[in-house]
Amino acid sequence: MKNDLEELKNDFLKLVKEVGDRAQLEELKNEFLGRKGKMKGLMKDMASLANEERKVIGAFANEIKESIESVFGEHEERFAAEEESTRAEREWVDISEPGRFEGAGHLHPVSQAIGEITDIFARVGFTAVRAPEIDWDYYAFESLNLPKDHPARDDWETFFVDAPEGKKGKIVLTPHTSNSQVRTMETQEPPIRMINIGRCYRRQIDITHVPMFHQFEGLMIDKGVSVTHLKGVLDYFAKTYFGPDRRTRLRPHHFRFTEPSFEVDISCGACGGEEHENCRVCKAGWLELGGAGMVHPNVIKAGGLDPDVYSGFAFGWGVERTLMMRSGIKIGDIRTLYKNDLRFVKQF
Amino acid sequence: MNILASYNWIKEYLDTDLSAEVFAAKTTAIGNSVEMIENVADRFENMVVGDVVKLEVHPNADKLKIALTDIGGKKVRVVCGGENLEEGQKVVVGLPGAKVRWHGEGDLIELKESEIRGEKSHGMICAASEIGFEKLPQEETDIWDISALTDAKAGTPIAKALGLDDILFDIEATTNRPDCKSIVGQAREGVAVTGAKFEAEPPRPAFGKGNGGFTVDVKDKALCPRYTAVVIDGVTVGPSPWWLQKRLLLSGHRPINNIVDVTNYVLHEFGQPLHTFDADKLAGEKIVVRKAKKGEKMVALDGEEYELTPDMLVVADSKKPVAVAGVMGGLPTGTTEETTKVVIECAAFDSVSVRRTSRALNLYSDSQLLFEKGLSTEALDAAMARAIELIIEVAGGVVVSDLIDERAGKYKTLSFPFDPEVVNQLIGIEIETKEQTTILESLGFEMKGKEVVVPYWRDNDIEASVDLTEEIARVYGYENLPSILPEGALANMSENVSLVWQRRVKDLLAGAGLVEVYSYAFISVQQLERYSLPTKDAVKLRNPLSKDHEYMRPSLVPSMLTVIEENQARDGAGDLFEFAPVYHAKKGDIPDQPYGLLLASYGQDGAAGFVRAKGMLERLFDQVGINNWDLARDADETLWHAGRSASVIVDGKSVGVIGQVRNSVAKAFGLDVSVVLVDLDIESLIPQFTQNKSYTEIPQFQEVKRDLAFVVPERTEFAAVREAALAVSELETTLDLFDVYRGKGVDDDKKSLAIHMTFRSDERTLGAAEVDEELSKIRGVLVKKFGAIMRS
Repeated sequence: MKNDLEELKNDFLKLVKEVGDRAQLEELKNEFLGRKGKMKGLMKDMASLANEERKVIGAFANEIKESIESVFGEHEERFAAEEESTRAEREWVDISEPGRFEGAGHLHPVSQAIGEITDIFARVGFTAVRAPEIDWDYYAFESLNLPKDHPARDDWETFFVDAPEGKKGKIVLTPHTSNSQVRTMETQEPPIRMINIGRCYRRQIDITHVPMFHQFEGLMIDKGVSVTHLKGVLDYFAKTYFGPDRRTRLRPHHFRFTEPSFEVDISCGACGGEEHENCRVCKAGWLELGGAGMVHPNVIKAGGLDPDVYSGFAFGWGVERTLMMRSGIKIGDIRTLYKNDLRFVKQF
Repeated sequence: MNILASYNWIKEYLDTDLSAEVFAAKTTAIGNSVEMIENVADRFENMVVGDVVKLEVHPNADKLKIALTDIGGKKVRVVCGGENLEEGQKVVVGLPGAKVRWHGEGDLIELKESEIRGEKSHGMICAASEIGFEKLPQEETDIWDISALTDAKAGTPIAKALGLDDILFDIEATTNRPDCKSIVGQAREGVAVTGAKFEAEPPRPAFGKGNGGFTVDVKDKALCPRYTAVVIDGVTVGPSPWWLQKRLLLSGHRPINNIVDVTNYVLHEFGQPLHTFDADKLAGEKIVVRKAKKGEKMVALDGEEYELTPDMLVVADSKKPVAVAGVMGGLPTGTTEETTKVVIECAAFDSVSVRRTSRALNLYSDSQLLFEKGLSTEALDAAMARAIELIIEVAGGVVVSDLIDERAGKYKTLSFPFDPEVVNQLIGIEIETKEQTTILESLGFEMKGKEVVVPYWRDNDIEASVDLTEEIARVYGYENLPSILPEGALANMSENVSLVWQRRVKDLLAGAGLVEVYSYAFISVQQLERYSLPTKDAVKLRNPLSKDHEYMRPSLVPSMLTVIEENQARDGAGDLFEFAPVYHAKKGDIPDQPYGLLLASYGQDGAAGFVRAKGMLERLFDQVGINNWDLARDADETLWHAGRSASVIVDGKSVGVIGQVRNSVAKAFGLDVSVVLVDLDIESLIPQFTQNKSYTEIPQFQEVKRDLAFVVPERTEFAAVREAALAVSELETTLDLFDVYRGKGVDDDKKSLAIHMTFRSDERTLGAAEVDEELSKIRGVLVKKFGAIMRS
């Protein structure tokens, strides 16, 4: 019996040297160690042996089996290594072929900007609110310290709805998001920190104007709010949205609903604000972001609050403009934004 | 509104030697943004005075001459076509390197040594229009003869010879500060930024006595709170001297004649419009300021005839309007070469009236621009005095009247309470009271106890004490204030849920492969009709920009179909969405403006599109936590494909429609592709949206899988099949459709459904026999209920 096992092993060692590939090796393994293989056959014969002898032979048989398996393993590794060495040749992929990803969706760039702006102001405690974009004259103009005969209230600047006047005047398509100011003060006890991002409408359409656009309006009302706080919040936004190396400046300006009023400028991203002599993007190193100011006492009063107790700041900027100023997206004709040529949207 | 301001001119009023750059930076910092600084002399680099010594004919061109020109120290040959060219003239010679604009048009071109028709030309002899003076009245074919303008020797740089060594600022004045749209205004602001003195000795003209034969009658004192006039006799109208023309040219004005030029000069200098009438052309020696009469017409200085309406203020003589008040004078009564006696008008007109009249007539001018921003009644005296002084200087004549002065009432200076502590609180830092008052005084304000008196030129923009804070802050300098993030209690406000969900839904849809579109909220009546939307419920604009934008859209569908129509040729298929408000008119209130959500799948067969659209809807509802929804075949057949549409029902209420757009509608919108839409009233659903998820324990026991395929009549709804199958199963059973087959091997009016099923128990591992038994029960009910024929 022992001899039979030795012979089996020697047979295997002889045959395994002649094996040329992995399949043959597999076949050989099966022949010796498989379910119906030679080893199994010998083991069957073991059943007829006496207990003592079977134990000894059994142990020997295991040894033989293990050594066959080990030789087999060595050969298998050899074949595997050979296979690896040629894998790159056999399994070459053209990495220059375009990847395939069906059903890529796209958010409109304005949605993307609105999302980012909302997030930035949320971090300094400004809550997103919503205000009607078709609103009473009262909220769009009257309560914002714009007198009845102010040009913004003329037919050629603002859209009016063809409807009878109500208690709060005519119905207008809001030309700015500032109608949210008094609306918020009417329903919200100070402290107020709100941001309203919405659609606005003005009667202008050409390559730099669209009759429908978006603004984001910020309002903070509390005791002791000052210009320094406005500077703080605007700096925070500008550095977060545009990058830490950008600087802002407040340039005195005029708006009816703020006093003092400013135009907020940001240092030019294209020329860095320094080498502006030949810069095509900026005016003397600066770009206009939009308007801001300290809420006019009359507006605070219209909101039902006492301007001797509360003060606040507000700002209202164009989303489209802000978006284009950061990314350096040059949209030659701003109307492209709302033309919905899919070749445009799919770039974002 | 911008002003081109000469630094030399400003310096006539402001004693400063700051460099232009520093002055500009300081001016910008207090609110007069300098958008451009130009060194005027740079325009005239490589241009010198030339003396034309001798003219020769050009051998190869009839219209050209060769001018032997002395350019200082040497004589050069210059080819020139100027018809007025003469020997002995002083001319502008552009040497090689000079930048000129050919015939006053196009870009600047740098001159080079060149050959014209075979003759060398050393630069060119320039026309005024070629070196930036397009507005100087000149014959087009003439060169600029500067013999009368300068005694400078040949070779003198032009900038020096013609006094063009100046700096020009292009300054934006804010709309509340028309006083800053003037040289004097910029100089006054300059006092505050430079600390220099304002130097102005106001001229004291010698007035005559009485009214000079003219009566002034202001009928509407509300619209004309003050009207002043003087009569000057014996003037000689002609071109202005060069110094005056030069100032106007650099300021963007067109020199016309000495009288008109003076009014424009004073307009630019003081920001106060003036007008001059030819006194002999005013009928009845009378000036009446009144509303226009119905049907009255006037030809204005621009040569156009304007029809006036009774809400417009005019200046008239005894018969007819001679000026649209504050907007433009009339042509027939204007000054011409023949004029010898003039009436100078210097008046204050109501800003709103001027604006509305100007818009209604579509007639604009420098005067109107200033008047409509609001000017002081007290600005007239200085401007009038200056105008008289200049007219007598450049046109001669004698003032034959006193100052005729009609005013609504006595002028009252404005004053407001002033509290330095309040100022500091709003600005956010401590500024010494002394510094505050110094700033105010430097701007012309006067301290009077606890009040501040406003200078007359700020009558229209200082309205309250808080305005004084701005004056102090802007001069103190915003760059000197710290940036501080506000501390204190956070606002007790909750985010608007619709906004929160709008963003989540948009992200979700884009992530699911849909492309977002943004259309205008405007819509045309045709768009409404194509989609059978009643115009009476839609929000209509009273002053739309065009017929295409007459209404506010009550539905997102028409614009979406238009978007698809415009893209179908290029992008044959795709999935789109728009999330935006829709508008519904509401009686006695502002319109309802709920958010709508529209999903669109276009470009494939309508049945496949339906499945895709329903997939999008399922994904959406799954992610927003809407579970209890269903479809009902009751969508409006006039808009939707009757066999491929349904209402979307949530909690028993219809919240929208899913379906293929009906052919007739698709055709009306010019669609070549089939479109399936999901139109949802998302605003009504948002309150039910939730991010809460439920969780079921992962089962302990293995499930057993079986597939089943069977043929049923075409009109068998899968939902019914599933419901019947699950009803007879006593195990935890799921059933999913994975294929629907029609065609070869299946009768025409039938379809083959293939389903995956899983069977599972919560108590034990199922045996094969048990599953087979369950399956046969299901087969049984399918055969019985739907006449199913099992395949395989």
